[in-house]
Formats: sequence, structure tokens, C-alpha cells
Amino acid sequence: MEANNDVALDIIITNVVSVFRTRCHLNLRTIALEGSNVIYKPEVGKVLMKLRKPRITASIWSSGKIICTGATSEEEAKLGARRLARCLQKLGFKVKFTAFKVVNVLAVCTMPFHIHLIQFTKNNRPIASYEPELHPAASYRIKNLKATVQVFSTGSITVTGPNVRHVAMAVEQIYPLLFECKSTMR
Amino acid sequence: MSSRVCKTCGCTDIDIDQARGNAVCMGCGSVLEDNIIVSEVTFVENSGGGSSAVGQFVASDGTGKTPVLGSGFHTTLGKESRAQTLLNGKRQINHLGHQLQLNQHCLDTAFNFFKMAVCKHLTRGRKMAHVVAACLYLVCRTEGTPHMLLDLSDLLQVNVYILGRTFLLLARELCINAPAIDPCLYIPRFAHMLEFGEKNHEVSMTALRLLQRMKRDWMHTGRRPSGLCGAALLVAARMHEFRRTVKEVISVVKVCEATLRKRLTEFEDTPTSQLTIDEFMRVDLEQECDPPSFTAGQRKLRLQQLEHELAKKIDEVQGEICSYQDEIELELESSRPKLKGPYASYAREDSSDDSVSVASGLPGNEDDADEELKAAAQQLTKDFYSELMPGAGEASRAEEGSEAESEQVVLPRYPPLASLLGPLPTAASLGLSESIQKCITEKDVDGNSENGELDLKGIDDDEIERYILNEKEVKIKTELWMQQNADYLKEQKEKEERIAKEKELGIYKEQKPKRPPKKREPIRASTAGEAIEKMLEQKKISSKINYDVLRDLDKKGSSPGAQPEETPSSPGGRKLSGRRKRNMAALGLGNPISSVGKRLRPLISAHVGKKPASSQAAKASAAVVTAETSQPVVVESGPVVYEDAMEEEEEEEEEPCVSAMQLMGGNDYGCDVDDDDGL
Repeated sequence: MEANNDVALDIIITNVVSVFRTRCHLNLRTIALEGSNVIYKPEVGKVLMKLRKPRITASIWSSGKIICTGATSEEEAKLGARRLARCLQKLGFKVKFTAFKVVNVLAVCTMPFHIHLIQFTKNNRPIASYEPELHPAASYRIKNLKATVQVFSTGSITVTGPNVRHVAMAVEQIYPLLFECKSTMR
Repeated sequence: MSSRVCKTCGCTDIDIDQARGNAVCMGCGSVLEDNIIVSEVTFVENSGGGSSAVGQFVASDGTGKTPVLGSGFHTTLGKESRAQTLLNGKRQINHLGHQLQLNQHCLDTAFNFFKMAVCKHLTRGRKMAHVVAACLYLVCRTEGTPHMLLDLSDLLQVNVYILGRTFLLLARELCINAPAIDPCLYIPRFAHMLEFGEKNHEVSMTALRLLQRMKRDWMHTGRRPSGLCGAALLVAARMHEFRRTVKEVISVVKVCEATLRKRLTEFEDTPTSQLTIDEFMRVDLEQECDPPSFTAGQRKLRLQQLEHELAKKIDEVQGEICSYQDEIELELESSRPKLKGPYASYAREDSSDDSVSVASGLPGNEDDADEELKAAAQQLTKDFYSELMPGAGEASRAEEGSEAESEQVVLPRYPPLASLLGPLPTAASLGLSESIQKCITEKDVDGNSENGELDLKGIDDDEIERYILNEKEVKIKTELWMQQNADYLKEQKEKEERIAKEKELGIYKEQKPKRPPKKREPIRASTAGEAIEKMLEQKKISSKINYDVLRDLDKKGSSPGAQPEETPSSPGGRKLSGRRKRNMAALGLGNPISSVGKRLRPLISAHVGKKPASSQAAKASAAVVTAETSQPVVVESGPVVYEDAMEEEEEEEEEPCVSAMQLMGGNDYGCDVDDDDGL
């Protein structure tokens, strides 16, 4: 096993999903009419507000729960969430910034080799599952980290986990398993 | 049984004979008990002459809650819910399995999987059909039959991914490792469907070889096996001089044409495709190919590198281009015709358009990969330009020629885009860029948000102000929004009005949007008989009820049979059995359970304590007789009828209600079972 797995591997975080509560009731109609970059969906009961700077999209419910998606790092997610709360404050609601939590982190990583999926699935029988009829990738669930890794035959993998640390650990964990099943290409 | 003391002689030596059901004192020989309730297996004769054991099957993991037979008579013969589910599942498995032509062994295995799934409560919250299909597919995979998940979804008309999700869950929960799909399994099936006649076997063999070659060439990982099969079969058919069109193949294999073509082109790229037919059959190339995604990736890499280099070169030559731009501008200004209409706005952006033409006109380093791009870009810009300014187009071409000798300038793809986008409103982006700079330099400190206060660090208020529209904009937007969502707003208004009206009337109920309102007017009737009739009309009960009996029952006055504390599942049985039990209680506890006939006689003949009770005993017996002569009909519809009748008659009761449970000492079960068996 290589001593320093992370040297060659570039883990790129593509999406961070976070939630927070404003602890106050929000009037969606006001937000929809006075915000400049909002989409109001009355059937579902939420407002989509997109921020440009940390490029995030937020779903705002009238109960005060807000889900932010699209950030590329945890700090950015928090910044964006706070920006959003500030914006709502300016619109006239007494918002508080509580219960901020990063819920999901999606990262991609490319291995410098191709992977033999069938062999990989065989080696990791119950944890890994590969169903070519349904999805071209084999999915590997790490229970203790609560992370899911989707392994493609080209060597790129996508990791989803509750936070960035878990995602990094998942990559470290799965690297040796992938290394075993690498194909002779590349 | 606790040993008791004999009453006559006082000795404790009591012999209990289970077979005869006697308890006899060994000292004096007096019979202490007769007709003891036995708990051995008893057998009853069937209609066919055979004998079957009496009793119900209770699963060891079942809840033990069995519906009392009086009500649940018809379809399931009083089986408990678990058995019903299993039976239902078995039926569905067999039905689907026969459509898929699975043999009995597979169906049995599938049923075993289903039983396991039910034990683990995996059927809860899922459609039975999905679970059944998943079990069947699991069997197909473990046995290696050539059935695809697509076939199952075709039969059930369900999205294949939904079935796949259920299947994956099932496999995971049951810890069954389904072996990976081998496309070779599907070849015989598809070959058969394509009807190759006598040469079927040869074509299959060829297709198999092709498939194996594909596997070696890394075409099969991550792809649907059916697509590969289709491609292999198509080539094999052609090799053996069978005319199978792409359409025929895709109808058999169930992939789309694009996929098939893609597989074929990928195969074409491999060196194997260069061999002749004979060579292919004899020789197997040693070299393995890169997977097609890999080659695509390589190409992308190359393109990216090229772009990098081009970008670098652009920077170098930028200055020169600017000078040429100025010259050309001057010339064009003089020769440009005046434009009106929508293109007038374009005319204003002289510099941008000129740079476009200049950029595209300059002959660039003709890269192989970029040739088409360049030509296309040139063509497009030329068209665009010539539309607007025909004269200027010629001028630019003239420029082109003069520039030919100048240094090699590479096709700058970036400036055209930037310049085209230039005229678009950039106010926001410019403003943003300033604040971006600000924010990047500031550090984001993680503030404690326990008290809910918003940490304003790193938030630029000015920028946020921009997110909020000013009053005029708000007005405009409000109008637009109202127009757009007029329908929805109308609906909301109507709903509110409706609710307000209902509130006034006092009938307003907090209704969930899903449930349609079910309002029934309370029945207003003068006599109980009328009430029963009205209720029957409302509830749409079966026409097989013997109304005469009902009315008779009612007319004879109060009914002591109201045993509301009994299980609600069998109120009818409740009422009838309540009466019986009452009478039995009057006769004495622990009476032997024997056939109904036997019991009726003591009922009728015995002198029951209270007069009304006795009259009702007679009535009950009469009712019971009529009820039972007309078999289960009355009994089964009884519950609905009696329920309401009893509710309305409760006030008229004279006797206090004592639950049968108390009377009988809690031995309902045996009672009821025997009733029906006695029939």
C-alpha cells in the first residue's frame, strides 16, 4: 500500500448541502415579490432563491426552514447561508441563524487507473453492489462513515457523505480496495 | 389441573381421564367432573371423505391475533393475516412465474424468498407486486436464467428502476449475493427470437466469441448486457449472411438504436474488427484494447491541452490584433450602409463585431482537430456579418488576404465570445466583482450561533441590497406574478370562501385535502324499526339479509344481546353468541361444547331465570335456527346491521349489560369455533 495516498489524488468537492432555521415564520409571497432572483412555487409551498456569489440555491419554506445547495466547500456553505439570512433580514423578517448543519457533501475523485467492476464487486460482496442493468457504476456503502462511494469503470469515483472529513476518510478507505482490482490499462 | 378434594369422601386422589373427559375420585368412585374441556387434536370428516385436523395454523412469529370466525368466514376461512399474505404472495408468484416460463423449482425458491421477506417485514410499505417481482428476479439471477429486469417491468408495467431499487434492497436484506450478469446468458434467448433457423447454433457460437472479444476489449464494464448482445448478434448474423436489420435486433434486445450503433462503432475501433471472418474464427488477437471511455477521455485531454496552448498564443498576439482592429474599424465606418430595425442596435457595437470578423478572418494555425470548428465559426460569423453589412463583408475578406502573410495567429475562440457578450448588461457583474474581491480578502470567522444572532462578518450589505428590488420593481413584479398565477389565486380565494361559509354554518371541519368530505346526516326515525331500515338504506348492505328476522328481533323489545365490550370484529356473532352465552351462563358455566343442535335443545328447554331472557332464548334459538339454516349469509352481514341497531336500542335495555366474557369466564374462542363446526 502506498504510504501517502492523497498525494496523487485530487478530491474535488462539487456540492455541499446544508440546512438552517430562521426561527420565525416567513411570508413567501413577500419574498417572492421583493426578491430579485427568486422562483416561487406555490404548489409545493417554497421559494427558490439563488445567490450569485457563493453560487448557491436555497429552498425557503414558510416555516423558516431553509436548505442550501450548490456550495463548493463547507465554509462557503456557511457564508452563503448567512448571506441569505441577511437578505431575509433586510426584507423585514426577524430571522435568527440557528441550527446550521452541513447535511451532505458530494465529491469526485479520479483514480489513475481503470477498475474492474465485476472483480471489485466479488471481493466486497455484501457491501458493494453492481447492477449494470440499472446503473453503470458499482456502489459501495461504508456504514460507519455513512458514506456511499460510486465506482465507475473509468476510475472516477463519486463520494457522498455527511461532511468533508468523512468523505476524505472514505476515499482513503476505498483506495486500497480499488487498487487491488485495477486493470492493466493506463 | 390442580388436584381437588372429593366432596363425598374427602380424598385427594382424583383420576382425570383425558380421553373420556372425566374426573373420578379413586376413593369413593364418584364422578366429580364430566365433559372436561380437552385440548387434544380432534379430527373432523371432510366432504371428500378424508379427515382433517380441527384448528387453525398459527405461525410461531405471528401476533396471535385471530379474527373470530363469525365474521371472517368467507374467503379466508378465519386464517390470520400472515397466512393470508403468504397465500396471496404465492398466488402472485405463480401467476408471474408462469408468464415468464419459470419451472416449479424456481417458483418454490421464489416463494421461500418471499417468506423470508415477509418475516423481515420488507413487504410493509411496498406494493406486493414489486416485492413479488423482486423475489422472482432474484431467483432468475441465482439460477442464471436469461430473464432481464426489463422483462419483469414489461409484465408489470412498472418503471424498471423502481423494481431495481426493490430488488437491491431485497438482496441486501436477505444477504443473498446475486452473481453478476453475464451477457453470454442472453445470447441463446435472443438468437432464438431472431429466428436463425438451422444455423441458430452457429450464429450463437459466433456471437459468443464476439462477446468474449468485447469483454477482453473492455467494452462491457458499466454497460447494459443487452446492448452488447444486440451488437454481437447483429455482427454474427451478418457474418453468416442473415439479413437482420437494426430495427429487428433492437425490438428483440430492447435497447435503442443509438446505443446499438454506438456499440458497433466502438467495436469497429478495436483491431479485431479489421480481421476477416475466417481470421476471426481462427485467431484471437493477443492485444487488449483500451476501453472506449478511456479513448474518449484521452481525446478530451488532448483538446484541453490544445486550448491551453491556443490561449497562451492569443495573449501574445493580442496587441497586434488590436492595432489591426482599429484600422479595419476606420475603413468600415466609411463604407457602412445605414441600418434600421432590430439590427440597428447591433450596428452600434462596431468594435465588437469588427473584432469578430477580424478574429475569424485571420487564417490560423490549421489544427486537425480544430479545422471543422474554425470553418464553422468562420461560416457563422461570415453569415451573420454579411446579413447585416454586405459591403463590410467584402472588406473583411480583403483584409483576410492581406493578413495571410502576417504571422500565424491562431484561431482565437475566446475573444469572439467575450465581445459578443460584451454588450449584455454588465452592471451587476461589475458590481459583484468588486464585492467579490472584498469578500475574498475578509476572513470568515465561525461565530457561535447558539443564541441565534446572525454573524454579519463577511457579508456585504450593499451587495445584499441589490438582491432586494426597489418599489417600482416590486410593483411590476407583483403585477406580473399576479397575472401568471391567476388560476392558483382564484382557487385559493374560492377555497377560503368555502371555508368561511362552512364556518358560519357550523359544519366546518378541518379537512385534509386528500380525503373527500364524507358527511352523513344523522338518521331521524321515530321507531327503532324505521331507524334500522333507514340505516340499511344508507349503508348499502347486501340484499341477502333476512329483514323479517331483523324486524322480529327488534319488535320483541329490548335485547340483552348488546355486548358492546366484545371485540368489534364480530358484533353480529357477538349478538347471537351473546344471547347464547347468556343462556349458557344461565345454565351453568363450563357446559360442554358440542354440536349446536345439542345445545339448542337445552337452550330451549331450560328454564332461564328471567322472563325476558327466556322469551329471548326462544327468539334467539329461532333466530339462530333461521340464521343457520340460511347458512353464513345472515351471520356475515349481521355485524353491520346489528351494530347500529344495538347502538340505537341500548337505551331501551332493561337488563344491565354484562359482558359475555365475564359470564363465560373468558372462553369465547371455543364457543364460536364450535358453532360453525356444528353446522
